[in-house]
Amino acid sequence: MTRPQLQVLPGYGETDVEPYVDFCGHCGKRQEAAAPASRVCGNCHLGLIVSAPGSLAPGAKEPFLIVDGRLQVCAVSRRAERLLGIAEADVVDRQLTDVLLPADAEAVGVEGFVSTIVHAARGDGIVRDLVVRPAGEWGIRWFTRIGPCATPSAVLIVLAPNG
Amino acid sequence: MRTLKTSEAASELNVSPNTLRAWERRFGYPRPMRTEGRHRLYTHGEIASLRDALKEGLSISSAISRARENLRADTPVLVGALSACELDRADAAMEAALALRSVERAVEEILLPSLHEIADRSGEASAPWAFAVQWASDWLNRARRLAPSGVRPLTVLVGDATRDEQDPDALDTWALELFAQRAGAEVLTLPVTGLVGLGDVLANFHPRAIVIAGSHAGDDDVARWAYAVRAASGPLPVALYRRGSRRPAGRTTGTLVLPHSPSAAQHELMALVEGRPAAPVPASEPSVERSASIAPVQLRRSASA
Repeated sequence: MTRPQLQVLPGYGETDVEPYVDFCGHCGKRQEAAAPASRVCGNCHLGLIVSAPGSLAPGAKEPFLIVDGRLQVCAVSRRAERLLGIAEADVVDRQLTDVLLPADAEAVGVEGFVSTIVHAARGDGIVRDLVVRPAGEWGIRWFTRIGPCATPSAVLIVLAPNG
Repeated sequence: MRTLKTSEAASELNVSPNTLRAWERRFGYPRPMRTEGRHRLYTHGEIASLRDALKEGLSISSAISRARENLRADTPVLVGALSACELDRADAAMEAALALRSVERAVEEILLPSLHEIADRSGEASAPWAFAVQWASDWLNRARRLAPSGVRPLTVLVGDATRDEQDPDALDTWALELFAQRAGAEVLTLPVTGLVGLGDVLANFHPRAIVIAGSHAGDDDVARWAYAVRAASGPLPVALYRRGSRRPAGRTTGTLVLPHSPSAAQHELMALVEGRPAAPVPASEPSVERSASIAPVQLRRSASA
């Protein structure tokens, strides 16, 4: 009599975990690979060091925001402050939808946008692309990369104004 | 209250002194005091609160926001104690506040907002408000007795134009008197309605500036009093504090309108007395300002030195 056994199915457990890179949550500057002694960026002094998968982490000129699983804004980069015309201190702890809304013509309401962020906050490790617009503005759309970041666990939204 | 030098505070937070100064410029936090030699002195409570918030924060802004919330936690305790008429607990709340802040900041960030919250909740004609004001008056008087008196050759005459002790403006006036005394000035408070014997008092007290505080007394009473003071002491600079007018862009007709915040008013008053331009006041939170919903009422206190 054969006993049922658990078997590893193809495709599961084989995904490579993408290495995380460190960058400043304000100026976006990439940090040295070695763990920094301080969590504060030594370049601008105004941001904490955050980690994200290499493919998600913002480039030198990409604006970005960080939100938590409750969709509250935790950080706004210097370039995002300029792009969105907001000050980080004014929007911290406010809902993300006060700042950004989905702008995908195919999307129905904000559910897809919200569920993407909630899934990313749970750390599912997948970087997704979405189209968003500034709240209260029409005619402007930005492509974004959305995925998990740490620490603590949060969601990184990288805006790509040039597509 | 435990204080830290810049290097000690930076070390506690594991950042550089430049970073601390950058945060002070951008966020107004942590907000250091200054020594006689103008060196920064940070309160340990503020630094410890920020250190804890930074561990779990994703940005400096959110960490500072959380640290500020933690420090504000003393306000509900004081409001609760005063609402329940528990004097010991109210004293303990202020003691706890003083462990983290200077006297000036404890008064501006905890005592005054708590009293204003009670005024908002219960009204200015209520027993809780009267109880809270009595406690605050005692507390501020005790602080004045402990403050060094007249260590600098600065004398200020305060013309009390408030209604009575229940007047919310009276609280801020007492706070201004306390702050000025702690800054080394000698402060004498007289009611603006008392003209009899004024010359005799001023013969022994030579004020270098006059502050008219409160908006209850009418302009005629105040003008008569100020005229009598200047007739006895010569042409002195006059400043208005919580006189009900909005702050103009600059000095008008030789009269300085002091800002509503007692600490900012004290800085400008000291500059006026010393004849120097007022230094910029460190960034403070708007919560120290009384909400506009509280109607200006008044007080009159007996003369106190």
